[in-house]
Amino acid sequence: MQREFWAVVLLLLLAAGAAYAHTTTTTEEFSRYNVGWNGTSGLAAGEVHDLRGLDPGTTLLILAPNRPFTAEEVGNLRTFLDDGGQILIADEEGNANRLLADLGSTMRVRPGNLASLDRDHADPGLFTVRVVGNDTLFAGVETFRVNRPATVTGGDPLLETSILTWDDGDGDGRPGSTEAFGTAVVCAKEGNLTVLGDPSLFINAMFAENPEFINNLQPVQIDAAHSRTGTVNPTINTLAWVRETPVATAALAALAILPVAYVFGRKRDA
Amino acid sequence: MNARASHTILAAAVITALLLLAGEATAPLLYTAANTSTAAHADPATVPKESGKDADVLIPLMDDLLSETGTLTLNIKLKDYESAERDLARYAELSAQFDELVVTLDVSGNDIGEFQQNNQENLASLAALLNNTRRFEDLQRIEIEVQGDEGQGMAVVYEGEALRQKMQEGFAAYAEREATVTGIAGHYDLNATPYRESITNFAEIVNATEDQQEEVGGSANSPLEIAVIPDKGRYGDILSIAGAYTGGTAGTPIKVYVDSQIAGNASLDASGNYACSYQVNRTPTGLHLAYATAGTVYSTVTAFEVFPGETAITLAVESRTAVTCTGNLTTAEGRPVTGAPVLLRVDGTELVSTETDQNGTYTEEIALPAGEHTVRAEFDAVGYPLNASESLTETVIVQNEGLSPLPFIAAIAAALGSGWYLRRRHRPAEEPAAELPKTVSVEEESVAAPPQVEIAGLPPREAATVLFRTLRARLGLPDTKTPWDCVRLAPAHTGFFKRYEQIRYAGETPSEEELRAMEEEAVGGDQRAA
Amino acid sequence: MTGAKKYYAAAVLAAWLIIVAFFMILNRTLDLEIFFVLSLIGLLVVAVLIDGAFSRPRHMRYIGYLIAAGVALFAYIVVEKILEILAA
Repeated sequence: MQREFWAVVLLLLLAAGAAYAHTTTTTEEFSRYNVGWNGTSGLAAGEVHDLRGLDPGTTLLILAPNRPFTAEEVGNLRTFLDDGGQILIADEEGNANRLLADLGSTMRVRPGNLASLDRDHADPGLFTVRVVGNDTLFAGVETFRVNRPATVTGGDPLLETSILTWDDGDGDGRPGSTEAFGTAVVCAKEGNLTVLGDPSLFINAMFAENPEFINNLQPVQIDAAHSRTGTVNPTINTLAWVRETPVATAALAALAILPVAYVFGRKRDA
Repeated sequence: MNARASHTILAAAVITALLLLAGEATAPLLYTAANTSTAAHADPATVPKESGKDADVLIPLMDDLLSETGTLTLNIKLKDYESAERDLARYAELSAQFDELVVTLDVSGNDIGEFQQNNQENLASLAALLNNTRRFEDLQRIEIEVQGDEGQGMAVVYEGEALRQKMQEGFAAYAEREATVTGIAGHYDLNATPYRESITNFAEIVNATEDQQEEVGGSANSPLEIAVIPDKGRYGDILSIAGAYTGGTAGTPIKVYVDSQIAGNASLDASGNYACSYQVNRTPTGLHLAYATAGTVYSTVTAFEVFPGETAITLAVESRTAVTCTGNLTTAEGRPVTGAPVLLRVDGTELVSTETDQNGTYTEEIALPAGEHTVRAEFDAVGYPLNASESLTETVIVQNEGLSPLPFIAAIAAALGSGWYLRRRHRPAEEPAAELPKTVSVEEESVAAPPQVEIAGLPPREAATVLFRTLRARLGLPDTKTPWDCVRLAPAHTGFFKRYEQIRYAGETPSEEELRAMEEEAVGGDQRAA
Repeated sequence: MTGAKKYYAAAVLAAWLIIVAFFMILNRTLDLEIFFVLSLIGLLVVAVLIDGAFSRPRHMRYIGYLIAAGVALFAYIVVEKILEILAA
């Protein structure tokens, strides 16, 4: 009977562990809680929810933004830039164009399906680009691997593709009669504002490809309110909220202690 | 926690697990890491690597091709034919490499593909230029040798004239391509100077032949007339090459040459006319020269033009065991193009070549794996006075052959087989155990009266066992006594018990008579023994 | 303790299944058919090892049916895979 008890307890623990792992991770793209290949759980960066009072010594990373910026937030970002802080906007869908216009920049992200022959892998979207500008982000790097980037127009070019690159409009992986070869700029900067047309560089699977870039980026903070690093999973959000609110953490700890105290107290009486 | 609760929990857990698994049964491959990619990115760890060295060679190769044209034409101009031959061979090799590279990298769609086509045409032009210049030189030599022989002299002059016109045409085509090629060269920052020089050299070579030809001169009056009616045509048109031979005898064979190659035979009829028909089939677009000979008499050279025509190619796909592609290749006027090569492009890359028959129809069967595929038919019109055409892309879905009953039959057979095997393994131990309780209960019911035992349907050894138990019960011995104990306790039945011991433990089988005797003894053996 | 062998057998079988699952997760390929075949092998090995020659305890009485069902499903999977290979 004792054995059966332990067998059942062990099985229930294993099931609980699997259920926990299942509910507290997600498969959403770019999410911090996604430990798979397309999540950003490996990116060592702090999160900020409030754009006021940012420390100009760190770089602010806006990763694949999908929420609009209010005028007040744009003002905060402007102050941050003027104080000498660096902003890196990584976007390949064009959602950041509104923010760029509000910030008064001439750079824009043009979404497309860039493909190149200058590559090491069978996928035409996973190719190498050259570093043409001068920036601390790309110090010590000559070639760079990007993963299905978008074109960035305007600004001073920092990353340029080779001439054998085309915009694969029909998605067939080969240049067609309407798809001409030409160089494209994948990253440009204007002052302290850098726009990178490829947020895929921050996913877990791409860390091994461009290690110097990730190193040069530190220290970095992610704008959690606008980047796509969150999740819609209610369990994870609740757990994160609990962890961040001291009152809730204290309440939870107190709740956990109560049954233990009750069990031990009762035993002593008996 | 007692056993019942834990059993319930375990049973519930097993059933839940089985239900969850059964939900996935139709797609047993739950997750695999190969080819994981989304619209925004691909996982580089699962994408196979391929070397990018081919792409690096592309642009330098284009540069080499352009510079080769310059050196080749220079050598031809300087009449250094050995070096020109070597250059031409090298140029052909580089062009072949370039063609292969274009196919490997699959870049034939955009201006690199255009460059490749122009390069192929340039190669053909320059090879023709080399051959024609050499032939022209030879003709100059021959002309001097046959000075005085009217007939042969005329032949040489005519061939020279035809050659010169061909070279003019060749130069016109070559120069026409200059704009496109230099445009593409500018796009990729190639050095187009050698190419421009080649055009100048080509022009000088052609002009030189013109000067030489003018020196020779020649009588253009000839008793043999020739005319091509009509003097323009498209693919499939039948042109009539006819004329009159003043002073010729009827029945003289007339040979008609188009582009210095024999194109037809005719004979002079009674009125001194001849006619032969010429069908425009595999004749390239442009001017062509025709002349006729009657023995040693040559006619003047006349020209006719072949215009390009549009073509249309259709494609119909049917999917049965293999994918059947049929279609028609016709010109814009509805004339079928016979014996023409047609390329079928499967899934954008694979090429299957076939030919049209006498009616311009082509049929081809292609074996494809299950799934969706696209097929397109292409006609590239090389050597035809026609423009290339492509059909619409057709999609064909190749079905899986439905669910076959074989696996189900195998599963049922395996279940039956293993069931039978396991039954067999357990049966010998099972039967006696099942039998024993039955006979004991029968025994206990009829202990007072002379015991009735049924041994009719039993095998001999089992029957002996039943009889032993009957006797033991009748003698009042407990069930736990073995046959040897019974011998000691009831010596009167020693024979019975000893025989039973042999049957039971030594594996002997009692005979029918023995069984009958044992039955009698077991039922009421007292009387007999006494 | 009565039936200790039964518990050892169940524990070994569970440990084998966990090892198989661990390696499948490590390899990033979760295939139900492979998992089923390997667990059937484990079940057969365990059944042969705990089967006594002279007794048939209650927990072994109905294992024959379970094994027969498992072998039937295994035969189905094998034949389906063979047909797949032949069709390709």
